[in-house]
Amino acid sequence: MKLLRFLALICLPVFAADEDYKPGPDAEPKEGVPKGKLTQHTWTSTIFPGTERDFWVYVPSKYDGSKPACVMVFQDGGGFVREKGAFRAPIVFDNLIHAGEMPVTIGVFLNPGVVPPVKEGSQPRKNRSFEYDTLSDQYARFLTEEILPKVEKTHKVTLSKNPDCRAICGNSSGGICAFTVGWERPDAFRKIVSHIGSFTNIRGGHVYPALVRKTEPKPLRVFLQEGENDLDNLHGNWPLANKQMAAALEFAGYDYKFVMGTGRHSGRHGGAIFPDTLRWLWRDWKELKP
Amino acid sequence: MKRLISSVLAGFGFFQVAGLFSQDMPLTQVLIKGEDWEAVSEGHGFTDGLCTNAYGDLYFSDVKDGTAIYRIDKDGKRSDFVKDIAGVSGLQWGVDGRLYVCVARGRRIVSFSKNGDDMRVLAEEIRPNDLVVTHDGNLYFTMTPTSEIRRIDPDGKMTVVDSGTINRPNGITLSPDHGTLAVSDHGGKHVWAFQIAKDGTLKHPGNYMTMRTPEADPEVAKGDGMATDVHGRYYVTTAEGLQMFDPTGRMSGVIAKPQDANLVSVCFAGPNHEFLYVACGDKVFRRKTKTRGALFFQKPHPAEKFVEPKKQAAEALFEDDPTSIAKAGFEVLKAE
Repeated sequence: MKLLRFLALICLPVFAADEDYKPGPDAEPKEGVPKGKLTQHTWTSTIFPGTERDFWVYVPSKYDGSKPACVMVFQDGGGFVREKGAFRAPIVFDNLIHAGEMPVTIGVFLNPGVVPPVKEGSQPRKNRSFEYDTLSDQYARFLTEEILPKVEKTHKVTLSKNPDCRAICGNSSGGICAFTVGWERPDAFRKIVSHIGSFTNIRGGHVYPALVRKTEPKPLRVFLQEGENDLDNLHGNWPLANKQMAAALEFAGYDYKFVMGTGRHSGRHGGAIFPDTLRWLWRDWKELKP
Repeated sequence: MKRLISSVLAGFGFFQVAGLFSQDMPLTQVLIKGEDWEAVSEGHGFTDGLCTNAYGDLYFSDVKDGTAIYRIDKDGKRSDFVKDIAGVSGLQWGVDGRLYVCVARGRRIVSFSKNGDDMRVLAEEIRPNDLVVTHDGNLYFTMTPTSEIRRIDPDGKMTVVDSGTINRPNGITLSPDHGTLAVSDHGGKHVWAFQIAKDGTLKHPGNYMTMRTPEADPEVAKGDGMATDVHGRYYVTTAEGLQMFDPTGRMSGVIAKPQDANLVSVCFAGPNHEFLYVACGDKVFRRKTKTRGALFFQKPHPAEKFVEPKKQAAEALFEDDPTSIAKAGFEVLKAE
């Protein structure tokens, strides 16, 4: 019997299951913390011809127009603004901005584009993989030439031009997209957050660790979250790819942080630690001039 | 626009409860272990123009030495379907039961009845290479040397629907729902996707798929003939082999050529249309697959959901995942 109990003990999982990663208190509305304003919009792109998408803009209550605001862009934005989702970014922003743990930051949450169906019974052409997985400056140009000017105009806000005040975040293909934006345009975005990032061969992204090692370092700050039980499929092995990315960033001397958990291909772990991720990302924000 | 918003929002509502749509489509979903290419017709000059009918009979041409449009029936027997015709590079059956033919050497497009007679000329003084016919009777064809895609509408009127987007437009196919036209570049490395507008014009070209290219010529994949399966996967013949793409344009694998020769045409035919046929040099080959071809003379349909016979551990991975927009879209479409 004793032996049985012992066996049962050592057989218990010693790691967290994916479902054990849950949003913490910083992802709950707190009393006395003013709420920012979240609005929903649509956009028809010319840089991604014919694509339409929904996006959301979060303006913190503290933004008063006296100086430019920092900005943080999210891929698959609809998931990040979901009130009962894994991230609940607007609530986290409310709390952290109020506590002075991150700057006054305007959040831009973009869904991937679709070329909508026009013939009866036909389906949209989904542009997510093309937009997120392609190694080029196209998505960065889409942000800097289409979206950010649109946000400034419609919300009458001024976004910081200082790339250290501009962050970008995404999950999976949205994660490699965040890195690509910084890699292609360090003059525009320097703070990168990737959860379960697809640094795999979906459209050639597996080359990044090699590129990072043999390219003069770029002034990026990179946060990578990954899970040991993430995907292993025709495009690659996600845990290995993220370990390769982290090792390359270490080798090349980047300002980076790598958090390896035990989760799967979901946003749960990234969501659970998201407030701390933002604290790390913006840790020296008071020294920045937006 | 309204439609887009509502479908995306509906998607969000659903994606917590929805099961995982198999978003990754490896070659193992298509190829069968132990099944290899087998030659079904030999002794030609340069095989091309593969197409099929509702019964799974295969039609093809020999663009170099051919004197007929050939047919291989269910029993594997070859016959001349149309005699005394040469230089044919593209074939497709239309919904009207007629066979549409690109006569490259004759610089025209013609059609034949289901008995191989009653030839009608649709267009002349053109440089057609390959064609596809939609269920609503629009014929789209590539003009490789002039970088054009043209359309012949059901009334027989020919118009240029794209010019200059693709260096050497060659292979041409549709999504299973006929909403997207895909065209390969013989002088580049992309397969381009176009939205087919209600009026039959082409809109919003995107270099949606990137083909694998030879080391020695990294910008030119030699994209040629194309086909689509019922799950919305695209197949394109190239210098490197038969390349397969998932419905979102991600390269999913390269199927080896049957022999070291020009691989230029592909279609699904045979029993249940579950055999891949390719034209490769002097021979036509086929191999059995786990999938079936999309047939454009039949009613358009949404891409069928692929169900892996064995449940994968990955089943619930996308639950509560903000990245599962793509999956949400599939759920919405399934609901329609």
